[in-house]
Amino acid sequence: MTSTIITNRAEIFRPLFAAATHDASAAMCRWTDGLITLTLDEVREIPLHSVASELGFGDDLLTMVILGVESDPGTVLILTFDEENARQLAATLTRRVRNTSPEWDELEISALTETGNILGCAYMNALTRLLGRAIIPSPPYFVRDYFASVIQQALVEQAAASDVALIGRTGFHREGEALNWHVLFVPSPEFRRMLENAIAVKPNS
Amino acid sequence: MHTLANAEATSVKGQVINVGMGQIATGDRSTQFTSVLGSCVAIVLWHPRLSLGAIAHVVLPKSHGQNGQPGKFADTAIPTMLEQLARMGCPKPGLVAKIAGGANMFRVGGPLQIGDDNIATVREILKTVGIPITAEDVGGTQGRKITFTCSTGELRIEVAGQKAKVI
Repeated sequence: MTSTIITNRAEIFRPLFAAATHDASAAMCRWTDGLITLTLDEVREIPLHSVASELGFGDDLLTMVILGVESDPGTVLILTFDEENARQLAATLTRRVRNTSPEWDELEISALTETGNILGCAYMNALTRLLGRAIIPSPPYFVRDYFASVIQQALVEQAAASDVALIGRTGFHREGEALNWHVLFVPSPEFRRMLENAIAVKPNS
Repeated sequence: MHTLANAEATSVKGQVINVGMGQIATGDRSTQFTSVLGSCVAIVLWHPRLSLGAIAHVVLPKSHGQNGQPGKFADTAIPTMLEQLARMGCPKPGLVAKIAGGANMFRVGGPLQIGDDNIATVREILKTVGIPITAEDVGGTQGRKITFTCSTGELRIEVAGQKAKVI
């Protein structure tokens, strides 16, 4: 009997996260007229106390779009953007000159939120197909705040069950160059069990 | 700046210590603690005469007997902080508390109102153990970056788009 030795146990989720990222990338590519694509960076288990620093965000203030799952409040999708490129994306999508005011206007917020909605729906639709269960995203919303503050609440359900957090991170690329944007998928413990059941890794012999 | 290497309670002197989710740290007059808070609550216990302090970055209100990082739950964090301070020669009489955090980062009224639960439980436990809360900055819907200085007892709070304040 063949056996599968998993050295990084989070890697077993990679095929599912990669499939969801592929669909999100196709949607993003259509949304941006072929400019921007996504690739899966990593799937990791990270100690709770170092999640923000291990993901490279530290105590950064970021622009984010957040989506939940209607039937599973402990599962969260967070899109993070650096300010400059996020403003430029909003300008491109709204066919306007980049707004130089420090405050985001309603149209910019709407453009970025809709970007999150399109990505999030594509990501969740892929998981719906792969898991055979309806995963419906909640309406997205726009936040500018410390990343560490947002991820804390996203990790509450995982924290209740474990001292490590499972996170899938996806990166954005524009014409082959990596952007400082990311999609972070934070599954609840229940969602994680669904993922595990879908994979059904055989134990070592 | 120094980041705690693990989740266990750690005593560090003469440094700026970044305290992550579920961690506890202690220090003396040469120590500063920093942390970023969302729904989590930072509990600082400080002895004004001795200038000794402890901080916990609490994620959840009650442990329900669960093992794990003592700093993760309010009901295990506070007793652990008191034990750590006692080992440093810091008695409970004379300690005061400052708390911050407990925001609701996601839709107000939506699920996961854990910030409110954290605040309520922290207040309840501190009252039970007889430690007065002399200052607090809790609730709301925004994150907080905090810095506590053991030599002065000042807790500095930064919120995006607002002027920093000291409590």
